[in-house]
Amino acid sequence: MRVLFFAQLKDVTGCDAMELAPPSPLNREQFWAMLLEKFPGLREHRRNVRLTRNWEYADAEAQFTNTDEVALIPPVSGG
Amino acid sequence: MEIEVQLTNEPISEKISPPRLAAHGAWLEFRGAVRDEENGEKISGLEYEAYPEMAVREIRRILESLAVTHPCLAAKVIHRVGIIPVGEAAIYVGIASRHRAEAIALLGEFMNQLKQSVPIWKRRGLPVEVAVGRVTPCAPVEAQFAASGGQRTARPTLKTLDEAMAEINSRCQPLPAVRMSLADAFGHVLRETVCATEDLPPCDRSTRDGYAIRADDSAKTFSIVDTLHAADWIPRQLKNGDAVRVATGASLPCSGLRVVMQENVERNGNQIRIVRRETATNISFRGEDLRAGEPVLQAGTKLDAGALALLATAGNANPHVSPRLRVVHFTTGDEIIPPDQTPKPGQIRDSNSFLIRGLLQSFPCEVTQKHLPENFEQAKLLVSAFSLQPSAFDLLLVSGGASVGEKDFTRPLLEWLGFEIVFCQINLRPGRPLIFGTNGSRVAFGLPGNPLSHFVCFHFAIAAALAGLTGAEPQKFLRGQLAYKLNDEPCPRETLWPAKLEIGPDATARLHPLAWANSGNVACLAAANALVRVPANTGPLAQFAGVDFLPLAAMLGAA
Repeated sequence: MRVLFFAQLKDVTGCDAMELAPPSPLNREQFWAMLLEKFPGLREHRRNVRLTRNWEYADAEAQFTNTDEVALIPPVSGG
Repeated sequence: MEIEVQLTNEPISEKISPPRLAAHGAWLEFRGAVRDEENGEKISGLEYEAYPEMAVREIRRILESLAVTHPCLAAKVIHRVGIIPVGEAAIYVGIASRHRAEAIALLGEFMNQLKQSVPIWKRRGLPVEVAVGRVTPCAPVEAQFAASGGQRTARPTLKTLDEAMAEINSRCQPLPAVRMSLADAFGHVLRETVCATEDLPPCDRSTRDGYAIRADDSAKTFSIVDTLHAADWIPRQLKNGDAVRVATGASLPCSGLRVVMQENVERNGNQIRIVRRETATNISFRGEDLRAGEPVLQAGTKLDAGALALLATAGNANPHVSPRLRVVHFTTGDEIIPPDQTPKPGQIRDSNSFLIRGLLQSFPCEVTQKHLPENFEQAKLLVSAFSLQPSAFDLLLVSGGASVGEKDFTRPLLEWLGFEIVFCQINLRPGRPLIFGTNGSRVAFGLPGNPLSHFVCFHFAIAAALAGLTGAEPQKFLRGQLAYKLNDEPCPRETLWPAKLEIGPDATARLHPLAWANSGNVACLAAANALVRVPANTGPLAQFAGVDFLPLAAMLGAA
């Protein structure tokens, strides 16, 4: 699973991408638990971050698997 | 509604033409420019960042959903990223509709939604002291996503496909040639230009079963003076009225003859009568196929069945050819299980070993495959135990572990084995994290773990390296035509798109683009025999559009 960080989240994690290899598909809660263990600094951003799975916003029931590209999207400011 | 979406690092053009649509009465354009202040601070420019693959999709999704309630004819959106000086446009939106009202409504609603959900960010304002001109070089969009090894390090520059292929072509030099018997030489690359040592055929030969007579003899009846079979060589001069019975392939007794097919004569004992005159001589003349000293095959030719037959004909029984290559292939990843086992959650069956083994079948080589544990120290132990001396292989392939996660040790492993890393990222989809390194004449690749990435990287990168090591002609892109529309979003990376190549009734190369969703997609591999090159930021390509494509090595039988 490739996990991407953007904008200010890169400042928190110190990298813009990483690979995770969870032993089984993760729901939203499990994904965050795995991530926060690695990057506790993300905790304060979690409220404002949306997750995407393979270039679409993930819904509440989404399962994140090893072949997915998952991104953490902080509030956007395009245009 | 026709939709076109682009992300670009370049300034947005001042003049953009409306689409050529007969029905549109309104063409509404909006440009959003960078203001001279941000959060109360004076700035000279803004740096924008995007998640390009998703931003393009999301813009398109918004437009498609708005088109239901605001029926417009066409929309074009360009968003610039990177550093944008004050006063220059960050976004351009053009909308064509029958009447102005629906275009204005759609534009307003689109901009609202864009600011809610499209993954593009104003990253930082540049203080006024920093002069930002139009010529300010800024990193390519993709470089912003170049992984940084989990630490804040300088971002590596991405090679383009052409740059990567040029590096491979220049660094993979032919290994010393060897003499090999014709019986073993199939698939090897000829490393000398072979010339005919004698004329072929060595003398005039009959191409028919029939009767040889003098070419200037106008008689109707002849006496048979001799009989010649294919292996006979009995020279003699013929007089008018003489005929020699000849078999197909028989050497003719002298020059100045022609052969009358046996179907065109009536034979009575030792006499023949010609019942039908032919214009053809029915002779294969000396040197007609090859003249002594004339090149038969050029160096660099991959020896297929026909080439072997030609070498045998020319009497070259031990040609000078490329050696049999020694390939070591490591697979990595604890989630990989053999194909006869049922994967537990999180596990996947190993397909890459079979893919690589199969792809290498087109090249004479010995393949050794091993699976490495995910722990780098254990992997090094296993590699040591395997006594992988640099002299023991020509080409090293490592599947998986090419990215920058903490378990991705391909690059450290190659460096530990003494390889100089030439590049470790390409601005290519799929296959971006491809690693290429050399150690003397030895070549190594770290392949991204997904099977489709393997497939693509093999055909443009490993095949090029094999061509270099064996002394074959480097592979080239050819020109063809799309059989169907290639449905793609504009992507900031260049794409090698799997396709099925067929030759159309008009002898053009027709390419059927195959469906693939992401680089893990295995389904299209079985059908693909070509890769279509889609330049960066192109988007959909129309049916019948001209495209560059790479025919796959196995299909051409070429290294």
